[in-house]
Amino acid sequence: MAAAAETSSDRTLRNAFGGVLSFFILLLIGVLAFSIRLFSVIKYESVIHEFDPYFNYRVTQFLTKNGIYDFWNWFDDRTWYPLGRVIGGTVYPGLTLTAGTLWRILNSLNIPLSVETVCVFTAPIFSAFASWATYLLTKEVKGAGAGLTAAVLLAMVPSYISRSVAGSYDNEAVAIFALIITFYLYIKTLNTGSLFYATLNAIAYFYMVCSWGGYTFIINLIPMHVLLCIVTGRYSSRLYIAYAPLVVLGTLLASLVPVVGFNAVLTSEHFASFLVFIIIHVVALVYYIKGILSAKMFKVAVTLVVSIGLLVCCAVIAVLIALVASSPTMGWSGRSLSLLDPTYASKYIPIIASVSEHQPPTWPSYFMDINVLAFLVPAGIIACFLPLSDASSFAVLYIVTSVYFSGVMVRLMLVFAPAACIMSGIALSQAFDVFTRSIKFQLPGILGKSEFDAGDTSSSSVVAENDAAKPDKSEEKLKERPSRKNKKKEKELVEKASVEKTSTKSKIEKRLLVLPLEASVIALLLLVFLGAFYVVHCVWAAAEAYSAPSIVLTSHSHDGLHVFDDFREAYAWLRHNTEVDDKVASWWDYGYQTTAMANRTVIVDNNTWNNTHIATVGTAMSSPEKAAWEIFNSLDVKYVLVVFGGLVGYPSDDINKFLWMVRIGGGVFPHIKEPDYLRDGQYRIDSQATPTMLNCLMYKLSYYRFVDVDGKGFDRVRRTEIGKKYIKLTHFEEVFTTHHWMVRIYKLKPPRNRIRGKTKKSKTKTSATSSPRKSVATKKNPWH
Amino acid sequence: MAKFLLYITLTISLLPFFAVSFSPESPIDRRVLVLLDDLAVKSSHSLFFDSLKSRGFELEFKLADDPNIGLQRYGQYLYDALVLFCPSVERFGGSINVASIADFVDSGHDLIIAADTNASDLIREISTESGVDFDENAAAMVIDHTGYAVSNTDGDHTLIASDDLIKSDVILGSKNIEAPVLFQGIGHSVNPANTLVLQVLAASPSAYSANPQSKLSNPPSLTGSAISLVSVIQARNNARIVVAGSLSMFSNRFFRSGVQKAGSSTKYQKSGNQEFLTELSKWVFHERGHLKAVNVRHHKVGESDEPAMYRISDDLDYAVEIYEWSGTSWEPYVANDVQLQFYMMSPYVLKTLSTDKKGLYSTSFKVPDVYGVFQFKVEYQRLGYTSLSLSKQIPVRPFRHNEYERFLPAAYPYYGASFSMMAGFFIFTVVHLYSK
Amino acid sequence: MARSTSKDAQALFHSLRSAYVATPSSLKIIDLYVGFAVFTAIIQVVYMAFVGSFPFNSFLSGVLSCVGTAVLAVCLRIQVNKENKEFKDLPPERAFADFVLCNLVLHLVIMNFLG
Repeated sequence: MAAAAETSSDRTLRNAFGGVLSFFILLLIGVLAFSIRLFSVIKYESVIHEFDPYFNYRVTQFLTKNGIYDFWNWFDDRTWYPLGRVIGGTVYPGLTLTAGTLWRILNSLNIPLSVETVCVFTAPIFSAFASWATYLLTKEVKGAGAGLTAAVLLAMVPSYISRSVAGSYDNEAVAIFALIITFYLYIKTLNTGSLFYATLNAIAYFYMVCSWGGYTFIINLIPMHVLLCIVTGRYSSRLYIAYAPLVVLGTLLASLVPVVGFNAVLTSEHFASFLVFIIIHVVALVYYIKGILSAKMFKVAVTLVVSIGLLVCCAVIAVLIALVASSPTMGWSGRSLSLLDPTYASKYIPIIASVSEHQPPTWPSYFMDINVLAFLVPAGIIACFLPLSDASSFAVLYIVTSVYFSGVMVRLMLVFAPAACIMSGIALSQAFDVFTRSIKFQLPGILGKSEFDAGDTSSSSVVAENDAAKPDKSEEKLKERPSRKNKKKEKELVEKASVEKTSTKSKIEKRLLVLPLEASVIALLLLVFLGAFYVVHCVWAAAEAYSAPSIVLTSHSHDGLHVFDDFREAYAWLRHNTEVDDKVASWWDYGYQTTAMANRTVIVDNNTWNNTHIATVGTAMSSPEKAAWEIFNSLDVKYVLVVFGGLVGYPSDDINKFLWMVRIGGGVFPHIKEPDYLRDGQYRIDSQATPTMLNCLMYKLSYYRFVDVDGKGFDRVRRTEIGKKYIKLTHFEEVFTTHHWMVRIYKLKPPRNRIRGKTKKSKTKTSATSSPRKSVATKKNPWH
Repeated sequence: MAKFLLYITLTISLLPFFAVSFSPESPIDRRVLVLLDDLAVKSSHSLFFDSLKSRGFELEFKLADDPNIGLQRYGQYLYDALVLFCPSVERFGGSINVASIADFVDSGHDLIIAADTNASDLIREISTESGVDFDENAAAMVIDHTGYAVSNTDGDHTLIASDDLIKSDVILGSKNIEAPVLFQGIGHSVNPANTLVLQVLAASPSAYSANPQSKLSNPPSLTGSAISLVSVIQARNNARIVVAGSLSMFSNRFFRSGVQKAGSSTKYQKSGNQEFLTELSKWVFHERGHLKAVNVRHHKVGESDEPAMYRISDDLDYAVEIYEWSGTSWEPYVANDVQLQFYMMSPYVLKTLSTDKKGLYSTSFKVPDVYGVFQFKVEYQRLGYTSLSLSKQIPVRPFRHNEYERFLPAAYPYYGASFSMMAGFFIFTVVHLYSK
Repeated sequence: MARSTSKDAQALFHSLRSAYVATPSSLKIIDLYVGFAVFTAIIQVVYMAFVGSFPFNSFLSGVLSCVGTAVLAVCLRIQVNKENKEFKDLPPERAFADFVLCNLVLHLVIMNFLG
């Protein structure tokens, strides 16, 4: 007994020790997650990246300047001219409200950070939170050891880094954190059955709805899991407590967000939750009645109910199907449909198909984005089955669905990344468990200690290992793998103590899971190397692949680093050299940046909510000069902005995007026919190009005066000489071209003051000089 | 010292007169450059020039190939209008050429061009720039065998009497011109698709344009009423141009002569030339038909300052003042067809502005139920008047979240249910806690 | 067949009734509360069917407040029910406190959404 008391106090000491250690490890993980995302700030500058973040930044500026009520009701008249955009009702406010709150808190603490700084660093901060949330979630699924592993994997996984570097101020930065926290609270409610966590779950779900359109993933995954649990016979009242309040409170809270509004009850994306809500009530009722009746009576009840209930069910389902089928898309939105049917977008909605983030990913991108985790995920899935609990079945469901969706759209790799990290964390921690336990079991034999019974063996060997581990810890390097190893042992012990395992069972367990010592040592080393490769890859990906701000481009050449800052040059020119009310037309990619940096009204921007408006701009770009001038004049456009990469070899310029202009324009205006621009099925701009292509506005504006650069007009992106070299512009005039010709701005010429007669201009010069005195003979006498 | 003071007082007292004479308010042209082929034209067309001088114009007569002439010096225009009575000039002297005349018109100044038989290519080119096309045959004249003017001297029917005048009080004055107008010269055609050009004096349907000396070998290209004898052009910046095919129609001889159109019995003592051309010159030099719109105001009903943004279903007032230049002062313009559009890619509201006869045009309407960036557009283009094109951009926002109707009677059951739920919850907690 | 089913139905009904009577009164109070909430919800749905769904947000908030109240009360009942083995070591005060918190959140949201 004294020994037992001693071991229990040892155990509590070890628990405390473990707790403190895990706290510091988590802190380190947070710092790691934050700092690995800072490469872009170090390599370039603290600037906001890409396109969408500029819009979010502008909205945040407005929020901090005008307060929340004006933001909630903001009608933006400087975009989608002349339709305007109701920002309050079409934007997911979570990100901007978060950053705004952060800024306000910092300012009230007299830390005067600018809004831009707060926006740039929001994503790294929330990725630190996300890794802590992953720790909590995986701890609920498998245990604290798995939790720590999963947290460190998530802190570094390249897929998540790509969307949350410092400067990538986009919805996903906070949405992934909200996603994981919601899942954690759901699993926690499921495990504990406490209504308190259910409330927190609903609030976290509300935060997720505020942040990202991907919340539909949650509201479909959780009902699927509930259904799975019911079907596999794992119904319990905790399931009811976890699910039912979430549906009611969650739907209510989701309707509060103006973007979602009544869609929370009317669209098909939410029907699954209501259906399962009804089902779980039926099941709960059935279990309740089963509980209070005897078995025989229960059978009677079942037969009675089934016969009546079936009829009612059929009627209700028929009504539902009629309702749903009455709408052409069956109530699903375009984006959701393109997720369910990958070919839908390219057939029906070219706008969605044209966004590069919506393309399916290639195989190499899986390896690039999750690297080593790709092998560990299947092992993790198996580990989840080993004792199958509600939480681990949820994890399996999560990974299966997210794998499918990530295969449809490359943007959703981001949702797949936390699942992969959880699974890999579980797999790694289980592997470490097995190996270290084998070593530990066999180590006493080597160290010459006598046999103890199972409980003591474990405790004493742990003590021995502890002493061996302490010097290990002192030489702890930046990589916390050794400490992870220790953590495994501590935590495994705690786990064992909390779960009521009998000693015999543990003995059996030990007997089953023992591997030869050398093999386990080598395996452990190999696992450590695996981790090392992962870390190296992640750091490389963060530094080289995902840190480019895309507003500033760099290239390395023999004489050093070239920086292409043409975009900001062009926007600054627009800002300083045009009137405040001038309208700028460009392809929709640049809309957000133009409004945010140049502060001018644009015609279309990245929100792409109005296909007809975009098609109008696309048609204008594909039409000949006069027709394009008419279209732009009807929209009160003053300046046209074109991105051209042919001089420096920038591949994402407007000529490469031209096929989308033709397709989208042709989708709404039938006089634009794609075959007119194709030669042998390809878009060409060289001498083989079709006359329609050589005459269209985009061609002329891109290549105007290009031949003056090198005399031949060699386009470095398309790698040919251009077809029409000498271009005259009759309705537009060039007002600005940036240093590397990447952005070219043209102004619409006002309509002509006088309209010329039809007589052709004759070459009168020669005749005038040759016959100067001819007029004398024909001069009339004015007096007659 | 006294002299100095005298000079000062004199200058100061004369300053207002200087100010008035150079006032930018009056659109009247004061300094006119008249380019002639032959200085004899100055006296042979003196009636026309005198009428101009009597209205306050300073005419400066120069030969067309005088090497000292120029329209502008150091970027400033020296003249406010140009009269080209030099149909046979091949090349202008000084710094005048087709491009400078085109720029002159494009900067808002007026032009009168008179061509004649064998007009030079230069004059033809200037006319083409303005928007009319003379007959390509250099020696062609307008011949009318049924509408010619009866005369003792001319026998080849090139002297025609035309009364096909444009019906416009603005261009030709309110008084009806009874007598036909004598014309002897070349005809031009006007592109019907050209919205800026108007035929003021057209030939009769039986006229055609051909060389009177030679035999007709092909059918003439210009025939009938398509031949325009005098045309006016009002450019988009409201500069006005008159193109006439005959220099002699401006002459004293034609002004004073009587006219009898062939086939009609009435013989008029005096041709209509003087009336016609004087009225036309008044129009060209903006003494008639020149409008200005000032003081655009809009505000919500009941308020007086202009808001930066309207809300849907707001009531608003719009007012604008339109004046017409009478030759000496700005008079209120009275018309009942000035319309206002509330425009966003297409007019959502179209209202005729009501006038108070003192130049103020106003209306009030309700903002439509659509939000967006609208424009208050007044597009007023009437024959002979300068075009008014006013446009003011104003955004229209939707309702704020607290501007919707509240406490709808239809929703009382729902309010009642929610409150009853809250009350029920309260009662239930009490019962649950204290029953046992 | 019909007779046997009707007899079965009667027997079923009796056994249900007797089993229910055996439940403690505190649970019966909760059941009454749930019934009240569901009844109010049904009234609102019937009203909406007649009048149309014009202030849809008011309708939604009314119905969801009733449904939410019912669901939360059922959760409380589950947690307070002494026969429920899973919640043996959950003190009823804690259950009740959670219940109150959840209801507070619910009613706050309802008030916001109602107007």
